[in-house]
Amino acid sequence: MRLFQKLRRKGSAAASSGSSNYAYVTARVRAMKSNLLPKETYSRLMNMDLDEITRFIGETQYKQDVDELARKFEGVDLIEHALNRNLAVTFSKLIDISEGELNYLITEYLKNYDIWDIKTILRGKYYNATLEEIKDNLVSAGQFKYNFLSEIAEKESYEQVIDALSNTDYYPILMNYDGTNLPDIENQLDKLYYQRLFNAIGSPKSSDSKLFSKLIRTEIDIKNIKTMFRMKKEGVEDGELEDLVLDGGLRLSLKEINKMVPLPFADFINSLEKYPYWEAMSDLVNPEMESLVDLETSLTKYSIKSAASFSHEYPLSIVPIMDYMISKKNEVSNLRIITRGKAVNLDDEIIRNQLVI
Amino acid sequence: MVGEEAITMMDPAGLKAIGAGLAVGLAGLGSGLAEKDIGAAAVGAMAENEALFGKGLILTVIPETIVIFGLVVALLIS
Repeated sequence: MRLFQKLRRKGSAAASSGSSNYAYVTARVRAMKSNLLPKETYSRLMNMDLDEITRFIGETQYKQDVDELARKFEGVDLIEHALNRNLAVTFSKLIDISEGELNYLITEYLKNYDIWDIKTILRGKYYNATLEEIKDNLVSAGQFKYNFLSEIAEKESYEQVIDALSNTDYYPILMNYDGTNLPDIENQLDKLYYQRLFNAIGSPKSSDSKLFSKLIRTEIDIKNIKTMFRMKKEGVEDGELEDLVLDGGLRLSLKEINKMVPLPFADFINSLEKYPYWEAMSDLVNPEMESLVDLETSLTKYSIKSAASFSHEYPLSIVPIMDYMISKKNEVSNLRIITRGKAVNLDDEIIRNQLVI
Repeated sequence: MVGEEAITMMDPAGLKAIGAGLAVGLAGLGSGLAEKDIGAAAVGAMAENEALFGKGLILTVIPETIVIFGLVVALLIS
């Protein structure tokens, strides 16, 4: 039966993009996942100083990146660059080894790095950051290659940057940038990303794009919950709501969010109880809560965990790949938190709270 | 009388040979289909971790048993 389904799917997909090679990619991604740093490593890293961490990272899968960049950078910058480069190389590899529908979905998903890079360059130009500072933060994990990005970053003004991007999908939005409305443009870019992602999924037909859409929509829910908590904490009123939350969540529709946000903080928390995300929040939220760090860490952990358990349910699908991308991104951000924290002599306790393990 | 003639034309040995051929051939196709994905997965895993070569090889040839069954049937027939 499965064979028939597969043959049928192949027939319909062949016209646009060819068939996907799930067996190859998922097995390879699982092998890659086994190379991620185990949980215990983080507590060991916490006890090391910066040089030891650099050496330790240089002995893991980041070896090649550290070796190649060691001539140009040192200390925290070296680690930061090595991490960024490794992330970019790993994610581009996923695009390279996948085929057909799978390739299309991964490419769309990774476009948020393109948007991230455009934002970084525009922000850099806005605040007159140096070229080095801008280049430090570029991650070429999407469609744009590093050379292209650094070429754009070298342009003098934002007008030239936007001109250089004139044959990309982002140009219609960037055209409206007048040097002052940066937050607005950034919001629009983010919205474009999710819009395109939903277009890519369409009305999900194959089981793979259904799973993909479920994961993406869970991600949107979690982003929205974080945004709502931040809004409540900062006392942002509902006037700007439309611009800040994303439509298309799995459990929280825009309508429900609209209803929840004007509530007082205690009622707002109660209204979250009926959602499955509550299990990740129940211990951490209370009407007098001060810091959102614990909550956000726990929500991120929730999304990692749900992707992982999902990937065991559907072994030959896009989920294990998404799971790997999420875990890898998390590993890189954890390492960055530790090294940056150590570099500015933050208290161990503070660093530990920020880690998502 | 043409019909009777046709029946006597069918040689049992020939039918046996066709049966044996089908047994091996179809079993071969079946195991080929089964091995396709396993082989791809094994190569994928090996690309990341060469130590998996042995395991990958063994898992890849497990569906080969189907052909052996086909071969046994073919030998029994002929």
